[in-house]
Amino acid sequence: MSATTAAWLVLACPLAGTVVNALGFRVLRGRAPGWIGTLAIAAAFAFAVVAFFALQSRGPEQRQLVSSLWDYASIKQTTGVDARLSILVDPLSVLMILVVTGVSMLIHLYSVAYMGGDRGYTRFFAYLNFFVFSMLLLVLAGNFFLLIVGWAFVGAASYLLISFWYRRTTATRAGIKAFVVNVVGDAGLVLGTFFIFRHSGTLDFLGTFHGVGRDFASHQGALTAGLILLLVGAFAKSAQVPLHTWLPDAMEGPTPVSALIHAATMVTAGVYLIARMHPLFEHAPAAADVGAIVGCLTLLIAGTIGLVVTDLKRVIAYSTMSQIGYMVMAVSAGAYVAGLFHLMTHAFFKALLFMAAGSLIGAMAGEQSLDRMSGFKRAMPFTFGCFVVGGLSLAGVPPFSGFFSKDEILFIVGHQGGWHWILYAAGYVGALLTAVYTWRMIFRAFYGPPCPEAAELEAGHLHHAEVHRNPATGEEEDTDVGFPGPEHHIAEREPSMKVAMGILAVLASVGGFLQVPGVTNALDHFLEPTFADSRFNQSPSDPGLVTAGLVLGAVLGLLGIAIAYVVWVRRPGTSARLQQRFAFLHRLFVNKWYFDELNEILVVRPFMWIGRFGQQTFERVFVNGALVGGTTGLVKATSAAVRAAQNGFLRAYAALLMLGLVGVGFYFLLQAA
Amino acid sequence: MTPKAPIIDWAGLSPLVALLGGAVIVLLVGLLRPRFVREVIVPLLALATFATAAGLGIWQWGEQISLISGALRLDQLAIALMWIICATGAAAVLLSWRAVAPREAAHGEYYALLLTSAAGMLVLVAAQNLVTLFAGLELLSIPLYVLCATEMRRETSLESGLKYLIIGSVGSATFVYGLAFLYGATGSTDFAGIDRALNSSSLVSDPLLLTGIALSVVGLGFKASIAPFHQWTPDVYEGAPTPITAFMAVATKAAAFGAFLRLFDGALLNAQADWGPALAALAAITIVVGNVGALGQTSLKRLMAWSSVAQAGYLLAGVVVATKLGLQATVFYLAVYLFMNIAAFAVIIIRERQTPLGDDIAAFAGLGTTAPLPAAVMTVAMLSLAGIPATAGFIGKFYVIEAAIDGNYAWLGIVIVIGSMLSLAYYLRVVAAMWMLEAPEAPVSTVTGRPALAGGDLDAPAPGAGIEVYAVAAVFGVATLFFGIVPSPLFDLAVKVGSSLTSLF
Repeated sequence: MSATTAAWLVLACPLAGTVVNALGFRVLRGRAPGWIGTLAIAAAFAFAVVAFFALQSRGPEQRQLVSSLWDYASIKQTTGVDARLSILVDPLSVLMILVVTGVSMLIHLYSVAYMGGDRGYTRFFAYLNFFVFSMLLLVLAGNFFLLIVGWAFVGAASYLLISFWYRRTTATRAGIKAFVVNVVGDAGLVLGTFFIFRHSGTLDFLGTFHGVGRDFASHQGALTAGLILLLVGAFAKSAQVPLHTWLPDAMEGPTPVSALIHAATMVTAGVYLIARMHPLFEHAPAAADVGAIVGCLTLLIAGTIGLVVTDLKRVIAYSTMSQIGYMVMAVSAGAYVAGLFHLMTHAFFKALLFMAAGSLIGAMAGEQSLDRMSGFKRAMPFTFGCFVVGGLSLAGVPPFSGFFSKDEILFIVGHQGGWHWILYAAGYVGALLTAVYTWRMIFRAFYGPPCPEAAELEAGHLHHAEVHRNPATGEEEDTDVGFPGPEHHIAEREPSMKVAMGILAVLASVGGFLQVPGVTNALDHFLEPTFADSRFNQSPSDPGLVTAGLVLGAVLGLLGIAIAYVVWVRRPGTSARLQQRFAFLHRLFVNKWYFDELNEILVVRPFMWIGRFGQQTFERVFVNGALVGGTTGLVKATSAAVRAAQNGFLRAYAALLMLGLVGVGFYFLLQAA
Repeated sequence: MTPKAPIIDWAGLSPLVALLGGAVIVLLVGLLRPRFVREVIVPLLALATFATAAGLGIWQWGEQISLISGALRLDQLAIALMWIICATGAAAVLLSWRAVAPREAAHGEYYALLLTSAAGMLVLVAAQNLVTLFAGLELLSIPLYVLCATEMRRETSLESGLKYLIIGSVGSATFVYGLAFLYGATGSTDFAGIDRALNSSSLVSDPLLLTGIALSVVGLGFKASIAPFHQWTPDVYEGAPTPITAFMAVATKAAAFGAFLRLFDGALLNAQADWGPALAALAAITIVVGNVGALGQTSLKRLMAWSSVAQAGYLLAGVVVATKLGLQATVFYLAVYLFMNIAAFAVIIIRERQTPLGDDIAAFAGLGTTAPLPAAVMTVAMLSLAGIPATAGFIGKFYVIEAAIDGNYAWLGIVIVIGSMLSLAYYLRVVAAMWMLEAPEAPVSTVTGRPALAGGDLDAPAPGAGIEVYAVAAVFGVATLFFGIVPSPLFDLAVKVGSSLTSLF
């Protein structure tokens, strides 16, 4: 099977799963929808592997394959738009489909059990499969047209899944927020595409890349503007400052959704986009610098907020933002392979952390606040183990995967010198913060005296709440469809959850060995054909800097864990003292640097005001009164006239025919004169 | 010099011969007594004739030959339009299968008239000479006058036939008068001769020629329902038997626009500066009048009539620009028009035979719940007529607008867009009625309430909609959707047709 055929089948499998689950919701019983969804993704993963081997069997020069299923409109010669349904199969897209299908498969497997008690079980898997299809479409798209389609589908799937428990107002509000912010990004992406298309004349990726030097030679400004608009799209999808505010709220969705969409796959779309567009970014360094700086800011801001948040899932969400900040910084600064390497390892350990968090939340019967958790270490040994593996990897402790990928990013960024040293330093500060907030979370949840729920679990009984409450607001809620079901599931008791988490734990532990400095560079080698034309293709060799970086990274990771241990385990109460001491900083961080408030003042209120003006004044007086009234009046009058002429009398018809003839004849005779 | 009989290329002429021969056979077989022969064999023969003609077209595809001393020309344009005509004819045969009209008018005559009319259309779109052009026009019109009146016990059917005849005579008279002027001005009845005459002299501002053009615009505009020569359309469409309405709506339009393309983009191309703005103004008027007239109609056949007026305006835009792109767009749109119109008429026939409400929009209330498949087909047809993406109508409209802008008639493109906006108001009303209204209570009575002209009941109870009507609806509905998603086969066809008028660039 050729690589492109396999890639088309990769797309087809999740779509088939979506359709079967969406149409069969009356027929499918029990856990069948879950297994159908999982099988569909497993098949997609198998085809992704086939595509990988088929691609590797070709010469390095021939590893960029474009395949068009059909031309929507072969009207290039007439309209100049080459909007084809075509995919691009190259090492970058194959890496992405492998990561997406692989991680998705495990998360589907986990969800089969985790979502077991939910009344919307079939709907959940239909949505989840649809999401995977959209994400695969996004990464396989061979032109801007299909990229935009996949990009928008992914946003829609994310909205559907965040609002999955649609009777929770917090969930629906979060869904709307995510959607609105994402649409801002979509608008950026579409406008950016217009800027690029205007001068390149083609929507095709490879065509645009090949012609970039020629088409934009005298349109540097247009290229930079277009790319910054693309970056707006990337920032919105990847939750970068200042378009990040939707991501923490998106934790309202079920935990597998947080693991899949809001950690492992969708939020990395921005990283993928920048890496895909690298030939363009290299021609517009100013745009690339914007990306690098924003990524760096995000990783610091998110890290500081992560230190003070008390909601378990939101801690991980801020950590996700921060890690994606690393990736965006990396791919914007030319460290493409390193950024994608981190994307992959992050997908492993972050999905693992979310799954473990889901298990813990199950044990707490839906409660998510760290303030209420403690001492789960003995009650949930497997979950604890997963947290430790994920936490070590995230904190960048050798030899876990996050260690290698993060250090490679920082090494390549630092090696560029100049002001990139600031990014380098900020990256290491971020690494320390990461270790502290990650282990703060682990120590608070698993150490200390067991909380009542943990004690109950130790006694062999899973806690179930008497009254179900929304963890965000404390409102009492029901367990009907549209709410989380009454059942809870933990990894210790569900084999499928255990298998999924176990595999990810192994991957998170050993995934880093793909790229060990001085030993292996498998990923560099694999991705070479995609980045062959890049200025940054030759990976720098600077053994001194590499060693220094590795040592610094390991020390900072361990130091962070030690700080967390001292503050939250050895000397409880330290954190309260620190809070008082740095009250200002604490308030800033707890209020998330006031980004929501800033948005409220700068964006929401002016728009509300404009909207109110538009609705109450402009619409009523001008649109409804003058425009609509005038137009409908005109149409009505014309309609009346036409119908009056249509009176059914032949003589009238003949008369009008003759009148028309006179008019036409008169016109032609005037021409003669 | 003794006149020599022209050499006749029978291969090139074969589709026309097939249609006319089929008409004769159908007429003769229709005389046989057995009911089975009349009601089954005759329509089957008519279907076979259309299939044969279309098949002979496939055989002759790619030829560009003059027939009978340059009276006709068989090229891709003629064949493509013939396919559209034959497809419409075949659909009309299927839609008539259990209809009242052929039973009343005798099957043999009914189907023979249908075939003769189709033959006339073929002559019209292949004409290369003013005389054959007019002969074709009459050959297509006269059978249609009769066909409109075939439901002889229904007053409106007779009225429609009579109206069509009288107004049609005025149109034909105008047309032939115009052709005479053209001949007088250029000294040639041959299209190539007219072209040469216009090319070599300063005839283009000659009053005689211009009067001729004006008169022929009116004549052809009448057949194509161009406003203000459109007024017969709603009355005739409403009164005629519905299968005939479907046939007229699509095939006549294809034939009339074939003639438009031959005459204006062929013979009169050099006078484009004269007739271009006039036709463009007529197109704009047609779009506005058609769309505005359709608002507030409750009879779906009338609504479709007004819609066909509006669509004629869109099609005319493709003729106005006189470019290869315009020709391609016109042919493409005609093909698309075939799919969406026949699909809509098939569903109208289904409802007409099932409810006593006839073609009133009330017959469609709640159809989405009672019969989702016909409702889905109707929805696709309506959305396609309105030009919604993912339907063939969108691509067709896109193509026409593109041609208009490319031919420096951007304002006409804007008029088309505004017209499409207006058209949503009535197309969506049908869609809304089907999906958003409650189905009416069980029908009160099955009497149509229309007075019969001659006394006596109909021979048989009201015919139901058989499988063949559903099949037509399904095939054409699916085609509307299919070519909206995979338009490239039709594009390829249109591009090939574009090479048949060599004078265009």
